[in-house]
Amino acid sequence: MNESVLLLSLASAVVIGTPILLAGLGEMMTEHSGVMNLGIEGMLLGGGVVGFWMSTQQASLPLAMAVGAVVGALFALIHAYLAVTLRVNQIVSGLALVVTGTGFASFVGSLNDSALIYSRPVSKFEPVFGEAMRDLPLVGPLVLGHDWVVYMSWVLVAVAAFWLFRTRAGLAVRAVGEDPATADTVGISVGLTRYVYTMIGGAGAGMGGTYLMAGIFSTYQHGISAGLGWIAFALVIFAGWRPWRALVAAYVFGALRNLGFSLQIVGVDIPPDVLNVFPFFLTIVALMIISARPAAARRFSAPSALSVPYSRETR
Amino acid sequence: MNLSLGSRRLTVESRPVASRTVRFLAPTFSVALAFVIGALILLATGQDPVLAYTEMIRKGFLGRLAITGTLIIATPLIFTGLAAVVAFRMKVWNIGAEGQFILGAVASSGVGLWVGDQVGGPAGIVLMLVAGALAGALFAALAALPRAYLNTDEVISTLMLNFVALGIMNYLIFSSFSFWRDPGRATFPVGKFVEDVLLLPRMVGRLHVGLIIALAFTVIIWWALRYTKWGFEVMVTGDSPRAALYSGMRVDRKILSVLMVSGALAGLGGGIEVGGVLGNLDPRALSLGVGFTGIVVAALARLSPFGVIPVAILVASFSNAAPGLQVLGIPSEIVILLEGILFLCIVAGEWFLRNAIRVERMAGPAGAEAPAS
Repeated sequence: MNESVLLLSLASAVVIGTPILLAGLGEMMTEHSGVMNLGIEGMLLGGGVVGFWMSTQQASLPLAMAVGAVVGALFALIHAYLAVTLRVNQIVSGLALVVTGTGFASFVGSLNDSALIYSRPVSKFEPVFGEAMRDLPLVGPLVLGHDWVVYMSWVLVAVAAFWLFRTRAGLAVRAVGEDPATADTVGISVGLTRYVYTMIGGAGAGMGGTYLMAGIFSTYQHGISAGLGWIAFALVIFAGWRPWRALVAAYVFGALRNLGFSLQIVGVDIPPDVLNVFPFFLTIVALMIISARPAAARRFSAPSALSVPYSRETR
Repeated sequence: MNLSLGSRRLTVESRPVASRTVRFLAPTFSVALAFVIGALILLATGQDPVLAYTEMIRKGFLGRLAITGTLIIATPLIFTGLAAVVAFRMKVWNIGAEGQFILGAVASSGVGLWVGDQVGGPAGIVLMLVAGALAGALFAALAALPRAYLNTDEVISTLMLNFVALGIMNYLIFSSFSFWRDPGRATFPVGKFVEDVLLLPRMVGRLHVGLIIALAFTVIIWWALRYTKWGFEVMVTGDSPRAALYSGMRVDRKILSVLMVSGALAGLGGGIEVGGVLGNLDPRALSLGVGFTGIVVAALARLSPFGVIPVAILVASFSNAAPGLQVLGIPSEIVILLEGILFLCIVAGEWFLRNAIRVERMAGPAGAEAPAS
């Protein structure tokens, strides 16, 4: 009995960890190019609300996810324009994007007497594998019981890890994030790279938002993300800007988000408000440990040029 | 950067100081652009933008009720805006005003409940507000100490601490039977109210003296940054940490003091919100993002303490007008969207302050060009 509760809550940790992972992985790509986008929460809500709307309008779920990604990327384009072309303070631009995306989602959700809040997706995210495989002990619920988005996110983690650390293109991105002036001299376009990777980040957040609304909750409510975008931001730091670590960390953060309920069933009462703090608390602790040890700092720290605008004239 | 258009050529060059005209025109144009974009969105969704904007001006500014309501909402924004101004002037990025504001509210409501009516109004109010400022400063120190001595990135640590503070506040009201929670209300948790004598005196209608305190601190911060040794060192450290270090300034202590002053301002704002508006620890009313908005407000004010006031009032007028729009059948959520678009447009408009565009006439075909005049 207790085992099955634990198993179920671990399985749902994977589910709730998935939007965190998608948005976090996107932000990780953005940050490797030297752009910090604090606007994840806004892009997640803004992209998600349009993706969710598509899912209520007879659109197939992959199409809804794609539309969510595109809208998220368009929100990110605003940040790219402000941060890369106009070189404004990225903190300010990111926070302005949070307000804009949140306002956009709330406004769209309130149109036509809040029609969207009462709408439901026409189809569901179904498990990929058959019942026989899902009933296998342990691996059934944990590994084989999920819908395609979860498996896609695993593929994306692998692709991101390979792309960033094993390909020439990935090396170019990291060069732009670490030392844009040098990257510029060898012929890499700093501006274009940063635009593209900022938009990839927005796409990740938009997909995460769509999955959250159309997949996990099957509904849109104001403030439905409940700070998930901020957790995704913490994830990037906690994972030390490494995709595979982000995969593990996303599920740890996901578990913390709904562990309270299952712990209550087995008789341990830790309030959800306390558990919700853990991702942020753990990130602060990790950050302090890393910054206190130079050897660790070299391996796990942020790209050197993160949030520093690049201008050829003033380099 | 050059761009050729027919016989003319656009040249973009950076300029150190913008003229008075540009400093006025750039934000004016940005605001106008934001309202045009907003109008297009309203039109596209079948709403009447003229109706919406007149109502926003009417409910935001016209009449005693409108203006006092706007000023009440602007007060906490002035505090979080000032908090950001102080830190950002030294290029210390405190984005934790949200959490410092919340902890200020927690501390001052706690002290208010603790003193009850034992010490009388004025003394009790001072105790509450001091507790709020102190809590904000100490909470900021949690990020300031690692920043000063371990070089831990304060952007991330202050940001993360916001959510720790939010968790603490929610726990005190929603998940425990703490000292802050009203024990009589078990099903729908609310915070216990402080004694009436501890509420801030009111001036006009519901407008409390918190606004005067905010204005006073605006002057103090302006004066401190401009005329004190501390302010001078803040500016120098902000412009060039190396120069500050080599001239013998203790940069680590400066970081600590600036972050704690910034935190104290945000915490004081939280205390004033409890004493002036709420009367208790109300998580729903205290987690609306005033800390984050304050940062944008400070940026739009170009980190000028006095600039914070009009920007805060403009933003507050939006929120104040929201319920009125809803009555007219326009989704009140448009004000948040409009606020965001306004922020983005003004931030973008700042570009014109740092760069000049010159139009040059080319004399002949390409290759034979001569500078105009």
